[in-house]
Amino acid sequence: MLKNYFKIAIAVLKRRKFFTFISLFGISFTLTILMVTAAFIDKLVNDNYPDRKRERSLYISGLEQRGKESMNGSSLSYYFLTHFIGSIKTPVKMAFSTSSDGTNTYINDKKIAISYKYVNNEYWEILEYDFLEGKAFTKQQIDNAERVTVISDDLKKAYFGVDAGPVVGKYIEADNVKYRISGVVKSVPSTAHKFFSDIYLPYTVSKSSYKNKDYGGPFSVILLAASKEDVPKMKKEFDQMAKKIPMSDKQYDHLNIHADSYLESYVRTGNEQRSGMAYAIIALVSFGLLVTILPTLNLVNINITRIMERSSEIGVRKAFGASSKTLVYQFIIENMILTFIGGIIGVVLSVISLKLINDAQLIANLNLGLNFTVLFCALIMCVFFGLLSGVYPAWRMSRLNVVTALKAQ
Amino acid sequence: MVKHLFKLIWNKKKQNFLLLTEILISFIVIFAVFSFGVFSYKNYMKPMGIDYEDVWVINYNNPANSTNADSVTLFYETLKRNVKALPNVIEAGYCSNNFPFSGNMMSSGLSYQGKAISNVNQFNADLDYIKILNAKMLEGRWYTKDDYLPGERKMVINKSLKEVSFGKGQAIGKYLHNYGGKEKIKVIGVIDDIKFNGDFLPTAKGMYYLLDTAAYKWTGNMMVKVKPGSDAAFEGKLYKTMINSLKNSNIEIKHLTDKIVNVNKITLVPLIIASIIAAFLIINVALGLFGVLWYNISKRRGEIGLRRAVGASGNSVSGQLVAESLILATFSLLIGSFFAVQFPLLNVFDLPAMVYIIALLLAMLFIYLLVLICALYPGRQAANIYPAVALHEE
Repeated sequence: MLKNYFKIAIAVLKRRKFFTFISLFGISFTLTILMVTAAFIDKLVNDNYPDRKRERSLYISGLEQRGKESMNGSSLSYYFLTHFIGSIKTPVKMAFSTSSDGTNTYINDKKIAISYKYVNNEYWEILEYDFLEGKAFTKQQIDNAERVTVISDDLKKAYFGVDAGPVVGKYIEADNVKYRISGVVKSVPSTAHKFFSDIYLPYTVSKSSYKNKDYGGPFSVILLAASKEDVPKMKKEFDQMAKKIPMSDKQYDHLNIHADSYLESYVRTGNEQRSGMAYAIIALVSFGLLVTILPTLNLVNINITRIMERSSEIGVRKAFGASSKTLVYQFIIENMILTFIGGIIGVVLSVISLKLINDAQLIANLNLGLNFTVLFCALIMCVFFGLLSGVYPAWRMSRLNVVTALKAQ
Repeated sequence: MVKHLFKLIWNKKKQNFLLLTEILISFIVIFAVFSFGVFSYKNYMKPMGIDYEDVWVINYNNPANSTNADSVTLFYETLKRNVKALPNVIEAGYCSNNFPFSGNMMSSGLSYQGKAISNVNQFNADLDYIKILNAKMLEGRWYTKDDYLPGERKMVINKSLKEVSFGKGQAIGKYLHNYGGKEKIKVIGVIDDIKFNGDFLPTAKGMYYLLDTAAYKWTGNMMVKVKPGSDAAFEGKLYKTMINSLKNSNIEIKHLTDKIVNVNKITLVPLIIASIIAAFLIINVALGLFGVLWYNISKRRGEIGLRRAVGASGNSVSGQLVAESLILATFSLLIGSFFAVQFPLLNVFDLPAMVYIIALLLAMLFIYLLVLICALYPGRQAANIYPAVALHEE
């Protein structure tokens, strides 16, 4: 039965090549757009280099204090994170780091822009950067405020030249200070703004004093639980601790601070009333709808046209006793076949365009790839497309009157 | 004639409904992309207001920690003098961190005769600001050394703010009140608008306060105008000069020409992506439209044959088919325009009404052209139908 449908479908596709081309074009290009978008979002949200322990972690990016007429939001100070966040017991490790800032260095009359980040030693233990050379700096070195650094592979190439040998133990000058290189890590794309930097420095060598007692400061925090099961417990303990934090000033009456999962922290907008998640989902859904609705309408249109062309075939089948249900079933299957052929072309086109995007290096170190999630999404989209564009024409067709259908020719 | 065509369309309303929806949605997509495009283009055509080539911005943090105001002032004056003494430097001056193309914003409110003016960008800059950027004063004057002396508070406002608060009237010498209305501030000059957010975004209301000596403590930027062709070697020298004075700072030198590329990207990248997606959707729709019209015509061979047989010319037949498609498009456009007009009426997104109107007209023109092109070929096909052959089929 299915084999027959398949044969008919192929025969029909071959008959009207122009219509087939339009259908395939619509399906494959829509899928390509959706898949490239999906690959991009997947890279932003799901890429787990370097934080492979994401499921066990909570992220704290800043705090916000509100009063009747005033509002103050910032990242955290060293005082705040040791005094308050450090007081909770569930986390086994706590990493903190500044956001990456920029500076320049000049060698051989050439300018190199460098972004730098101050981190603690547990940063290296929670985040699993791939070390191409050497190793991270230790707690001992941080406590002694030694001028050591971990640099990214990109900076190594820019500073020492593309085919420089091992550089561990050499010195790199940034901000007019010489740092001894203790390790080289694989570069992170700048879209992973939590982890991106060119040089990573011990927070104790920071030029700004980190010892004042303000709440606001340069740091954000990652807490690591012993296991995945401990994360809710850690979050609960954090929230309880957060409730007890006194305001830093009389003008405020609310203090908002959140320990988020990675995804929540990525979309947090700073608006306490509405979560960023809602915004992100609304934006994504409306984009998806916009991109799919036109090609789908188009397909429905074309499919109706094609079916009506086959009214004599339908009339004959009906006259010989085929039920409407069988006909609808047949047509949907035909349509699915078409959609899947379009889907395969779409995947090929996606692979090509992703390759082009990667080769163009629009964002350094951002390598998009088709992974299984994206492929799975594509598959679902294919089925969705096939059904959406097949059901209505099939229903219209099944209601054709036998006599008119036969008489039409 | 039109009435008759309308009847023909109405008779096939079920079949035409999908086509209508498709054109309607394409129209809305095109309208959105065009609005964005027209808005960006209009902004792009306005003058920048400054010369940003060869202007560098030095960013430093942790300024000198001294409680003595006099020594802080002395320190920064000396630093500025040292920078100005470098061979390639033409001008140098301190400014707040919302320098052009920085992407930073600092806004505040004002009031004039009890009327509140909100969202005014506040800039702090010193005496050399307009010389560095080559900004134009329209009326009055920029700050001079005398303005450092204690006295009434003064401000320079930009053209947009002047138009909002004083309209066409004279601004110089009048007073604006700060947020809350407690303090009177005298307007001493009107400066031309500067496109702070790059080529493609509009100017906004702005006011400039003199960056006085008390502000040195929390200021972290110095703008430097250098001679054309200054290279990295000189930049390294400038860097050393800065870091030798500000030993506890992280210092970064950026070029305004690089910064503007970055802020322009914020507008251009979404515009390019939107255009690519819209183009793809439109190709899709055009092909579909073409296919459906073609099919419709081949189905109406009998009708066309009959018309030809009773003496209609080929041109009038193809004209009828094209006119039918255009009427169909008109329906979609009417419905679409109803929605589109809501944007200027309800003032969504805060764009000028003119932008929407131009975009609306362009989008209508575009859809008509699209439908015309898609209908022309099938129309020609119809004109070539021989009555004898067509009628013979029945």
